[in-house]
Amino acid sequence: MSEYYVCTGCALLCDDIEVDIEGNKVATVHAACRKGVARMKGCSDPMECTVDGEKAEVDTAISKAAEILSDAKNPLIFGHGNSSSEAQKRSIALAKKTGAYIDDTSSFCQGPIVEAILQDKIKTCTLDDVRHKADVIIFWGADPSNSHPRHLSRYSYFPRGKERQRGWEEDRTAITIDVRKSDTAVISGDNRFYQIPMGGDAEFMDALVSALSGKVPKTSYGFDVKRILELSGVLKKAKFGVICVGLGLVYSLEELEPLFKLMNKLNEVSDFNLIPMVGQYNMRGFNHDLFEETGYINRVKFNPETGEAEHGAEQSVVEALRNRSVDAALIIGSDPLSSLPLSVSRYLAEIPLITIDPCQNLTATRSTVTIPCALGGVEAGGTAIRMDGVEIEMKKIVDTDKLSDEEILTRITEAI
Amino acid sequence: MGFGQFLAAPEIKLKIVTYRDVFQNTAQETSRFGEDYEKLSAVIKLDPKDMVKLSIKEGETVVVKNAFGKVVVTAQSSGHEEAHQGIAYMVNGPWSNALVPDETGGTGVPKFKDFEATVQGSKGEKVTGIRDIF
Ligand code: SF4
Repeated sequence: MSEYYVCTGCALLCDDIEVDIEGNKVATVHAACRKGVARMKGCSDPMECTVDGEKAEVDTAISKAAEILSDAKNPLIFGHGNSSSEAQKRSIALAKKTGAYIDDTSSFCQGPIVEAILQDKIKTCTLDDVRHKADVIIFWGADPSNSHPRHLSRYSYFPRGKERQRGWEEDRTAITIDVRKSDTAVISGDNRFYQIPMGGDAEFMDALVSALSGKVPKTSYGFDVKRILELSGVLKKAKFGVICVGLGLVYSLEELEPLFKLMNKLNEVSDFNLIPMVGQYNMRGFNHDLFEETGYINRVKFNPETGEAEHGAEQSVVEALRNRSVDAALIIGSDPLSSLPLSVSRYLAEIPLITIDPCQNLTATRSTVTIPCALGGVEAGGTAIRMDGVEIEMKKIVDTDKLSDEEILTRITEAI
Repeated sequence: MGFGQFLAAPEIKLKIVTYRDVFQNTAQETSRFGEDYEKLSAVIKLDPKDMVKLSIKEGETVVVKNAFGKVVVTAQSSGHEEAHQGIAYMVNGPWSNALVPDETGGTGVPKFKDFEATVQGSKGEKVTGIRDIF
């Protein structure tokens, strides 16, 4: 019987992956998308273990990292989206011990949505529910064809499901609402693509609520009233609807109120759920872990004396860097010099910086200490939380000499 | 040699929206320092009418800058997108992030998908290398 593995290329965590192994390396990857194949085969430039730019032994690097973190008054620990839940818990413990700021990517992307879900403010469902039941699927500010390549084929649009035996041809309607005609918009079809102006999402939601309430839907940008009414007709008739919320929507909303209103209205007239299109494979895991520990999903600073968690925008990675309130940083499985605005992340190069990652990245080039770790889901196992909140078990595929990030974090913590 | 070289290349201000691209993402998995990643990341997608205004052709490089940074990237004409004059698309990555403002209004969230920059033909400058962005 075949052995199936999990791809950690994105938060879909596809668990139907088969691999061929040659000489302790993943040589061929079956069933994954191209991004997943590249992830599982590993990068061509692995990170080296260094201290002050010179090659070093792992033990030396770990002691240096421990020294940096204990010397710092206000260290920052950031990343986590590409780490197992076990490693994330170690990281939270390390932050508590060192009185650190701790944050993850959700702080400037899907955080508000995951928070609303964990606080039971939004109705959600699993991707398996979507596969088996969803007949109306809205991609709002989301382009899974690029960000989550197998979303449409495994779950949301193309597959046959228990109650959707005729798949996309007859049983499912895909709708894209976006500022740009994305590849996903092309799949939805011109008829089902609603192009709105930048920042026009909240108004479009209000207009839909009006239409669903039998009122005339109006937008300041004069969106075709007939098209909104027709769309609201489709939503009303949905047996099982789902809104897949992408970053385009998250960034456009100043507050979530319009989304809450729309979800409430949709659930008065039909049945709708919402799933955040989480990017990194275990971002949601970090949110769950920190929520369990502190009651907050991200943006925490631990008080060094009391261990209490302070939480707010000021404790976010972006504001902590903008305000230069951190004096050292540990980055795990992330490349903030690439993924944050350079105007914000540039400060990292001015403070003692530690990077833990399987691959060389921009942040590593500016780091005092770099410690290579095993590639999650390939060289190390563990658990992770899929974008819909389902826990997924990852098995190790090949052996490696490298430590896992969990082990590295444990050893740094012990050395402090 | 014509007069062209003495005239300043036309410059226009555009709104920039970032997006994800699976090919660029794949290249990133393989190597952030590879040729493919640069080729697929250091790109700006322009409306054909804006390209005329800039008097540039597909595949030429342009200087994109604002108060926060400056990068040279390759101009591409949009594909299936609807007309989007005044708006340009850049794939999410270090090149677009060099331009994202640090202004957040204290919210902790930068405007990754809504910022302004000026675009101007570069007269043949090379694309900014990833190590030179910093
Ligand atoms: S869709 Fe995501 S999890 Fe699935 S194979 Fe592609 S990268 Fe991997």
